[in-house]
Amino acid sequence: MSAMQPSGVHYRTLTHLFNTNFFWECGQWPLFPVLSYFLITFSLLSATVAHASEPGINQTSGITFSISVRTPEQIRAFYTGRGFPEAAILELESKCLLTVGMQNNRQDIVWLEPSKWRFVTGNGTEVPRVSRDEWTMRWTKLNIPLASRATFGWTQLPESRDLYPGETAGGNIVVVPPADTFTVEAIFETAANKNGAPIKFKSAPLRCGNPSGASK
Amino acid sequence: MRVKPGWMLLLALWLMPATLWAQEITRPAGLVILDGRAAPALALSDMDGKTTDLKALKGQWVLVHFWASWCGPCRREMPTLQALQQQIKGTRLALVLVNTAETDDEVFSFLPTVAPELNTLMDRDGLATERWQPRGLPSTFIVDPEGRLRYLALGGRNWASAEYVSFLNALLPR
Repeated sequence: MSAMQPSGVHYRTLTHLFNTNFFWECGQWPLFPVLSYFLITFSLLSATVAHASEPGINQTSGITFSISVRTPEQIRAFYTGRGFPEAAILELESKCLLTVGMQNNRQDIVWLEPSKWRFVTGNGTEVPRVSRDEWTMRWTKLNIPLASRATFGWTQLPESRDLYPGETAGGNIVVVPPADTFTVEAIFETAANKNGAPIKFKSAPLRCGNPSGASK
Repeated sequence: MRVKPGWMLLLALWLMPATLWAQEITRPAGLVILDGRAAPALALSDMDGKTTDLKALKGQWVLVHFWASWCGPCRREMPTLQALQQQIKGTRLALVLVNTAETDDEVFSFLPTVAPELNTLMDRDGLATERWQPRGLPSTFIVDPEGRLRYLALGGRNWASAEYVSFLNALLPR
């Protein structure tokens, strides 16, 4: 859909308004405010459509969701800049970090629970995710300082979070890098007691990099 | 049925304070009401070694703001916190910043460039932040004069905006 074209629903609504007495009674209204209203409305609609069509950003059922792969260079630059020890950097570089951003634009709660998501290669092989608990064990084994562990923790997506209306969340999730491309099938339960209709997303195929800089 | 004007006036006068109160503490979007549980302990030092203990601030409202320089929304929000700080000077509202798990060098190379008037406590190992369990960074808790958690701001926002300033002013005693 082009960003310049109104969506079907809005076009039908305008056509309907045009054919009703309501529209013609607007002839009694001051021209400038009415024109301004429609211009502003169209501007906003165009902006929404343009935003939705940006690569990597999905909008459906009141959720905005994006997911992208961090390169090993980005991982090294970020965590080195934060004073992480080399042992931690090497451990992180050997994994695949996916940066997730989302916003709940609905009127009810949306549940962010990456443990329920599936990471699957083209041939159907499950890609293992490294959970927060596993990271805690790795950091303990490598004797990583508390400050680095804390920073790492705050850069990760929570394991479970009830997102309030309007709330945003962002962070990384980590998977063991597969040789092949893979997709992320994310599922979000809705409503405070999770009895609303779940919302599902499937990402475009993603590919992890390797520390040498070349894609696998 | 005829209603005497005197009774109507009395009713209006009785309802007026409630209406004014409702207007004054209109809660801005993105501010969640908490259950009033006691705020976790918080006693940290700033980069000059001066310690602030939340217990010593009892009797006033306190904004406890957790942040880190690597977090984009934190960086955007910081100048608005400085503007808020200017507006709440001399009131019974205090602003306490807590940097999460960064070094003095990291904070010093960031904070003076965007908000030179602000000082921050240093949660150097991140354990104090962990005790408070913010939903993410940035997070701002609003603590009442009895030391109870009353509100939580979800993510970054413009603290110097009219809606936030009027909301915070409405919390303060007249």
